Amino acid sequence: MKNKIPVAILSSLFALQLHAAQVTVFAAASLNESLKQIAADYEKTSGDKIIFNFAASGTLSRQIEAGAPVDIFFAADETKADALEKKGLLVSGTRKSLLGNSLVIVTPTDAAAIHSPAELTNAAVQHIALGEAKTVPCGTYAKAYLEKLQLWLAVEPKVVPCESVRAVLAAVESGNVDAGFVYKTDAAISKKVKVAYEVPAADAPKISYPLALVKDAPQSEAAKRFITYLDSDAASAVFKQFGFIVLSSPPAK
Amino acid sequence: MTDAILTANFSKRFSGGPEIVTDDLHIGSGITVLFGASGSGKTTILRCLAGLERPEIGTIHFGEEIWFDAGRNIFLPSRKRGVGFVPQDYALFPHLTVARNVGYGLNDLPAAERTVREVETLHWLGLEGLENRLPRELSGGQQQRVALARAVVRRPRLLLLDEPLAALDTPTRLRLRGELRQLLRQLGIPTILVTHDRIEALALGDDVVVLHGGRNVQHGAVPGVFSRPVNLAVAEVIAVETIQLGHILEVRDGLATVAVEAARLTALATDLPAGVREVYVCIRAEDVILMRADTIQSSPRNRLVATVRTLTREGPLVRASLDCGFPLTALLTHPACEELDLREGGQLVALVKAPQVHLIPFAR
Amino acid sequence: MSSAEWQLVGFSLRMALASLLLILPVGLALAWWLARKDWRGKALVETLVSLPLVLPPVVTGLVLLQLFGRRGPVGSWLHTTFNYDVVFTWRAVVLALATMSLPLFVRAARTAFEEVDEKFEQLARTLGAGEWRVFFTITLPLAKRGVLAGTLLAFARALGEFGATIMVAGNIPGQTTTLPVAIYQAVENGEDVHAWTLAGVSAVIAFAAVFISEKLQRRRK
Repeated sequence: MKNKIPVAILSSLFALQLHAAQVTVFAAASLNESLKQIAADYEKTSGDKIIFNFAASGTLSRQIEAGAPVDIFFAADETKADALEKKGLLVSGTRKSLLGNSLVIVTPTDAAAIHSPAELTNAAVQHIALGEAKTVPCGTYAKAYLEKLQLWLAVEPKVVPCESVRAVLAAVESGNVDAGFVYKTDAAISKKVKVAYEVPAADAPKISYPLALVKDAPQSEAAKRFITYLDSDAASAVFKQFGFIVLSSPPAK
Repeated sequence: MTDAILTANFSKRFSGGPEIVTDDLHIGSGITVLFGASGSGKTTILRCLAGLERPEIGTIHFGEEIWFDAGRNIFLPSRKRGVGFVPQDYALFPHLTVARNVGYGLNDLPAAERTVREVETLHWLGLEGLENRLPRELSGGQQQRVALARAVVRRPRLLLLDEPLAALDTPTRLRLRGELRQLLRQLGIPTILVTHDRIEALALGDDVVVLHGGRNVQHGAVPGVFSRPVNLAVAEVIAVETIQLGHILEVRDGLATVAVEAARLTALATDLPAGVREVYVCIRAEDVILMRADTIQSSPRNRLVATVRTLTREGPLVRASLDCGFPLTALLTHPACEELDLREGGQLVALVKAPQVHLIPFAR
Repeated sequence: MSSAEWQLVGFSLRMALASLLLILPVGLALAWWLARKDWRGKALVETLVSLPLVLPPVVTGLVLLQLFGRRGPVGSWLHTTFNYDVVFTWRAVVLALATMSLPLFVRAARTAFEEVDEKFEQLARTLGAGEWRVFFTITLPLAKRGVLAGTLLAFARALGEFGATIMVAGNIPGQTTTLPVAIYQAVENGEDVHAWTLAGVSAVIAFAAVFISEKLQRRRK
């Protein structure tokens, strides 16, 4: 009996070793804190380890196209996933649209208040930070929104393109720009910006976060398990806590 | 000696080097030669007077002006001293033409006057036609004259020349020595001239300051200092040799007959200006050849019967003081001395070749 | 090459030239001080001037951002007093280019000044020239080749500057997008032809500038 306990512990550890996988996730910058918390919870129970690369979705898809070894792609807009799917880089049938979000205009906490998007055309507003429209979904959404309001032409000369939504946040926090477009979930995390205007869901473009298994994933079994977890109630609770909208609908297409 | 226009009492030391001290140095308004061996501090003193070096302790006064006073922390910068400085290598601005070099110091003058002065100075130093040449296209003698022109064009109050003839080859140097002397006399600017060459000092200077061990040790009119060094130190520097007053009796076929006391010497007259009667006769001790009295014809024109007064041993050499009707010093090796069986009171013949009898015009 | 691409090249060239306007007076003064004078904090100054050469460019950019951002010591003064913004404008581009290229210029110019024999300067002083006149009529002309070589090097470096520029000026099309930034963006967007065209232009200009600079510095009489 005395010998069996250490052996049991050793063998279960060994078993864990054999089963413990390292799952690589490329995720949109705005998912930073929420995914990290979810992964921490998941690692405790599953024994797998989750590794993240957070950046603008466009940057991430470029890296996947170039052959980066990654298991899961979790972007902030559907077009990025579409592009990869067209190139056959996503495993068919694994794609789901998991989350939604809201677009907000933020300003530095000590700046004059902005009450509506139209005020962005004021002379007092000299620099507006936006995600770079081709690579950053948040920037694409913001541009589409401003075009819809026919404010884009007036606002464009003031735009400072940033490489991710978090870069936009940082620019607004530093006070070097007068306003910026981020997600509501990003504004919630920062103490140095204030939300000047929340874009109503009806006016905003549809914001949708697709999630998929990448083709030739090094750890596809473990990855599938994590994807399932991301869809679970436990994960949804965390997402909601951070302010995301959890979509319960099937894949966007 | 004329009244002093410049007095200097300073000390300058370069880190790790010797200390150069001017001890109550008075410079008059003529041409003063700063004489000493290489490394005796002549150039340093000149540069301190020019304002290019700053001594540690002491004073420099030019007339009523204080150029330097360490105690009161006064240092007049070079550009305000109104000096003309000609360094040993001339330092002609390599990127400027002769005309631009010469005219560099005239910036304060209106353009018209500047041109007049430039042309006048260029003409006076024989530099016409060279206005647009660059320094590297000039001969050594031309460069020297450009450097001089550049220094004097501003009518400086004090002219400082550092070994003005040293950079030239020997024939040019000899030729220009006479020219320089004339130029300096014509200019009439108080001049301090540095040299280590005894003949140059004699030829060019009115007064001489002898430097030894970084310090001025004797000061006086040229002939006096050279023939009567005040102590052994000065004597070492000057290397006492034969300097006597002579009187030219006749000049014929490029040769001059000179009377020195009772003796007659033949010397070259090629560099001698016409009409000169009084000269210094200089004979280097090493140029005197001694022979026994009873010998055959030999080439040196000057054969003098000599009596040995004193013999002084200097290492492998012997210095012989002779009386040929005038004092003559000879230098020979110890073995030679033995062979000739030289002894005090003995008689022999001293020979000097005509080219080695140097004549320096005495006229002031 | 399209007209937009030519405009980009034009913008980069103009910015590099503008940065020279900042570099030359500051650089000449620094190079002269370092070449001719000795003082207690000299080693510190030498190190500071050389820092942008060795630090990661983004670090230099970060420092500039801190200083010239709206909340930074210089930036806030400019913003409140003149309503003048540096960060995210073309002025930040010029600032970044100048800061990154200054060390190269100072090195070359300093060497050039050190090679000018001081005897010429001293002689000029005896002829009544004040320090400014000595500098402009003697020192600078005699150091001309080295200074020119340094200018070309600085120009080439400015044209290729990326890390600091992107930190402090961002990438605003038509306003702060320089050649290197545009190339990076083109690669990010998968616009390969565009990227290679611009890279080619960049390479040609850089090659020419450095080639001439080397020639100038190597020829000795």
